[in-house]
Amino acid sequence: MTTRMESLAMVRKLAQGELSVKARLGYVALLLASSAMTAVMVSLWLTEPVLPLRTQLAFGAMTLIGISWVALSIWALSARRALLARDHVIAGRMSVAFTALFLAGAIAAVLMGGKAAAFGAAAMGAVMFAMALRVLAGARRRYEALSARREALERELER
Amino acid sequence: MNKWGHSPSAGKKGRTSIGCGLFSWREPFLPVRDSSQVNPKTPLHDPRSDELLAIRCQLGERPAFDALIARWHEPLWRYLRRLSDSDDAARDLAQDTWLRVFRGIGKLREAARLRSWLFGVARNVAMDRLRAQYSQGTYVDAEIDGIPDVADDANLEEEFATLESGLATLPIIERETLTLFYLRELTLEEISGLVSVPVGTVKSRLFRARQQLRRVMEGAQK
Repeated sequence: MTTRMESLAMVRKLAQGELSVKARLGYVALLLASSAMTAVMVSLWLTEPVLPLRTQLAFGAMTLIGISWVALSIWALSARRALLARDHVIAGRMSVAFTALFLAGAIAAVLMGGKAAAFGAAAMGAVMFAMALRVLAGARRRYEALSARREALERELER
Repeated sequence: MNKWGHSPSAGKKGRTSIGCGLFSWREPFLPVRDSSQVNPKTPLHDPRSDELLAIRCQLGERPAFDALIARWHEPLWRYLRRLSDSDDAARDLAQDTWLRVFRGIGKLREAARLRSWLFGVARNVAMDRLRAQYSQGTYVDAEIDGIPDVADDANLEEEFATLESGLATLPIIERETLTLFYLRELTLEEISGLVSVPVGTVKSRLFRARQQLRRVMEGAQK
């Protein structure tokens, strides 16, 4: 096999790995899960009135871990596994569904126990839900704009 | 299906469900078209076909990436081969180039400029590699000794080989300008945008490159 053909085969193999939808959406799921975990940790930490130093340190460490996972997934999604228009829409829907579930859980906790931490989690859940809706709306707009342009080009080239 | 390998009706069918608002679940989950439907022999000279291909990639259609590779790997390979000193180096550069293409095509703002964007990515990859080689002190420029002897000028293939070898002996800036202008058929304006220099500079580089290549070719024929 010539080097040129080898190169072509390598690029095709590279494309398989790089364009894997599973890997992209895996990072979206990681981002959502780590955001939720961090939100719960921060709510608990900030709303507990008196905590011993060791517990405070434990909350701090857990929050730091959560933030690290959030940062890692954001970095991966922007630099390594950039989402294409279709992936964005799917990721947006995943975010809306996940944050809606989180918000519903937090509201249920407020209604049942009414602890301060539940109020904090509900507030953060509401913010995350609003952000998810915004992301989804933006993703749909871009998808529709690209689809419209694609359709127009197909018509032009068909002539 | 049209001659470009796409089915407009399939696209319309998918888009009819968009009107349901944010929570329409159907359309992005449409089955991905089979790559056999993509015709890699789409006319290269119609920039709209490139734009269409770029948009299909940006939408996230896997077969469009297959078509992109089928259409552009060879030209990119030739371009990178001229900027590097061996097939192996060109293979590495091509791999890095495609990696950046896969990661960056979603952010390409003007899909119609796909061709110059692809060569721009390839150029950046090659320049990064050269910079790394310079910093490590391992850069070796092409040697004039690499020109093969040409016994029979009437043989077109040999003449072409001489031309290729002659091109390889030029400094990288001139080699790149000639390659982009004559072999890749980019316009002066496109090259100017690609290498971030004024059009006048591109012209003077072309002039210089032609003269240098002529000297090399004349020397090889003596």
